[in-house]
Amino acid sequence: MKVATTLTVNEIAYPVELDPGTNLLAAVRDVIGLTGSKEGCDDSECGACMMLLDGKPVNSCSYLALQAEGSEITTVEGLATGEKLAPLQAAFLSEGGVQCGFCTPGMLISATALLDQNPSPSEDEVRIALSGNLCRCTGYDGIIKAVLSVANAV
Amino acid sequence: MTAVEEPRAAAFVRPDGKEKVTGAGRYTADLNLTGQLVAKFRYADHTHARILRIDTARARALPGVLAVVTHEDVPDVLYGGMVKDRRLFAKEKVRFEGDIVAGVAATTAEIAECAAALIEVDYEPLPAITDFEASMGEGSALVHDDWESYEADDALLRDGNRLGYSTIVKGDAAAAMASADVVVKSRFVTDPVQGVPIEPRAVIAQWQGDKVTVWTSTQVPYAARGGIAHTLQIPESNVRVIVPLLGGGFGAKCDFHFEGHVAALARAARRPVKLVFSRREEFFAVGHRREGMVIELETGARADGTLLARRGRLVLDKGAYCGEGGFFAQMAAMHALGPYKIETADIESSLNYSTNQPSSSIRAPTAPQVCWALEQHMDELAEALGMDPIDLRRHTLIEEGTVTATGQKLERIAMKETLEKAVELIGYGQELPEDEAIGVAVGWWPCFAASSGAYVKLNGDGSGTIITGAQENGTGAVMAMPKFVAEELGMQPEDFSILYQDTDAAPSDMGSCGSQTTFNSGRAVIAAAVDLREQLLDAASDKLEAARDDLELVGGAVRVKGSPEKTVTIADLAGSGTFHGKGSGEPPEGPPAEPAEGCVGRLGLESFHAPQLIAHAARVRVDRATGVVRVLQVAAAHDCGRILNRLGADGQVYGGVVMGIGQALSEGTQLDAEGRHRNAHLTDYKLVTASDAPQIDVAWIETDTPGAGPKGSKGVGEPPCVPTAGAIANAIAKVIGSRVRSLPMTPERVWDASP
Repeated sequence: MKVATTLTVNEIAYPVELDPGTNLLAAVRDVIGLTGSKEGCDDSECGACMMLLDGKPVNSCSYLALQAEGSEITTVEGLATGEKLAPLQAAFLSEGGVQCGFCTPGMLISATALLDQNPSPSEDEVRIALSGNLCRCTGYDGIIKAVLSVANAV
Repeated sequence: MTAVEEPRAAAFVRPDGKEKVTGAGRYTADLNLTGQLVAKFRYADHTHARILRIDTARARALPGVLAVVTHEDVPDVLYGGMVKDRRLFAKEKVRFEGDIVAGVAATTAEIAECAAALIEVDYEPLPAITDFEASMGEGSALVHDDWESYEADDALLRDGNRLGYSTIVKGDAAAAMASADVVVKSRFVTDPVQGVPIEPRAVIAQWQGDKVTVWTSTQVPYAARGGIAHTLQIPESNVRVIVPLLGGGFGAKCDFHFEGHVAALARAARRPVKLVFSRREEFFAVGHRREGMVIELETGARADGTLLARRGRLVLDKGAYCGEGGFFAQMAAMHALGPYKIETADIESSLNYSTNQPSSSIRAPTAPQVCWALEQHMDELAEALGMDPIDLRRHTLIEEGTVTATGQKLERIAMKETLEKAVELIGYGQELPEDEAIGVAVGWWPCFAASSGAYVKLNGDGSGTIITGAQENGTGAVMAMPKFVAEELGMQPEDFSILYQDTDAAPSDMGSCGSQTTFNSGRAVIAAAVDLREQLLDAASDKLEAARDDLELVGGAVRVKGSPEKTVTIADLAGSGTFHGKGSGEPPEGPPAEPAEGCVGRLGLESFHAPQLIAHAARVRVDRATGVVRVLQVAAAHDCGRILNRLGADGQVYGGVVMGIGQALSEGTQLDAEGRHRNAHLTDYKLVTASDAPQIDVAWIETDTPGAGPKGSKGVGEPPCVPTAGAIANAIAKVIGSRVRSLPMTPERVWDASP
């Protein structure tokens, strides 16, 4: 039995019909069609599916889509302004924070949440804030440098 | 040779970067086709059993199921890179937990899963053969009853459960050992380790008539194409493999893997079929993991540290099938020598079948485990000699003119320089708290010369397209190709797009494995650009009525040297849009080696082509009460030849070192008594996180090693994870005063080893 609801993703309201068991990641990827958020584990371990829910980062693979009704959902597709990259996105590229790119959407979301809450984090604070996002390529070095470079520019 | 303090080339932003940071980029799992079905597999119910009966009737009858495929539905052929020992779908026997008995394609994942469970399989269970050391013994039950009939490389020296055997012999090691002032013997064991790309693999297959297009997350699209063609017995020209963005590989996505299964399901269902692995499948079902090993080493030295003799006995767990990993016995033997001057040697290495998960290439296959053991062994030797471990290495490491134990003469290598740089960067010898110590380890890794091919075409407006078989797995190596071409043609890198990861477009290529993209694909692309340049010079010579030798390509134009007014732009020349260059380049020949006659199991690794040399130093803190180790700092110095892209090269070291830390401390697959995974998920198989990763200092010692790749480059991707675990192990031993002889060095094992 599908349930009709509205999910607001990146400031656009999408009327959708969902099985009650649908997780937020599946709703956004498969029903709404925004595939930037990734599924790496379906277990809240890797962070590739991270989205902002009213500004707070959640592992969308482990969050029921229907619970997100009425919330502002932000995915990686919502970070840039038109063609203009957000400072974190640009810094991930210039600092070598992107290799295969599969963890990148979740990393960017976690980093965005951190800087929204703490615009001048220490390196340790950045590392702790990103410790729920696994990256196998970069050794985290370029990612940490990117976040700190944006924080220091503020 | 020069130490690089400053970037040689300006950092460049990868052309695929924007789509990756905006979420617009598509990976295989992001694609969907109209009418697409979902694939699920029925895996073996035992790790070792004879199959008596497979009945798919109930599964086929389930509404929503459009195809069920078993061995009866595909050609009866065996496949495998170096030994053809495997079928797409198990026939007589299952040989490990992830062997596939049947595949199902259904309208939803839930129906497909349900149908897979409804398949009835009767087995005669057989004893699991998990002890890979015992499996080569007399009287052990065979993993492959028909091993003698398999098509295989003769040099493997197969014998029952031993599918690869290699020795390195030089001089009379027994006599030299007997004459040594000091002899040290050590035994080490390692657990299997997984590649764990963050992207679980995905495959989509769609047939159009007799032709199939397969989108797949592979590092080796041409091997995938070959595997599909072979297992389905169709021509390669009827198979097109396309790789969308690839979410990491680390070797785990090398080799033909599940493309044949999905193509068979799609053909049977007459629909596109999509397979996406769960994280659990990504652990237990893939035929790729780093093998467990038993490593026994004995070294005899003169009192001054000179290495008189090395004996080694290595046993590697190949698991159920060979795949492309048949060369591991010889590769491991070479790492048991390590980058050292040794007067005599007697190394024996066995690669054995078991009913465990198949091992295969994971980033620098065999090297991190053997290096971890050898570098601890070298520190034990230093202790027995009463020498500082760095001084022992200074005295024994390979250098200009060294002739290795296999008779390879080394020229222009910077092994010792990397050691000195790593020692300097870490501050070796500094005063440290009593729970901290610094350990050092060194390693080596070869370049792999292989054939490749590329085209460069000019479009009518003077822009260009590079068509290469190279595969991008995250390293960014492919992204350097526009730079190579632009340099040859006097144009800008931004003038070129790249068409790649489509087997219908470019000539065959080895793929993103063996750290070879720049080495081989780069060479081919440069050759194609040179071919195109010659054509442009011919055309400009006609147009400008000038001798070819008087022309130069500068700033997007061909002009007469010294007469800048006599010029024609490349855009004008390209007006017809038909200019295209092609090239392969000659793969450089491997350096000669003269191994002694007793060296058997030779697969070409007895000489290390343009070796990459590595020294890592790690500073760690050990909590003696709990055995918890924290890596505080790693200094990584590499000789990888000339560095073409500092940002990209540094990124390989950061990532490789962090992967090495995981191997050292937390990453190990635990198997039950029957060889089943006990920790096939990220909760209990722990990767290093951002808050665990230490400060990493990177240094490059640039050499001009003979036989190097384009512009003096060697490989970069694999070496960074070779000596990290060894350096950490040596630091741990200094703190606790004893050795941890099992890898990973978990808190329990460190605590257990503490006196």
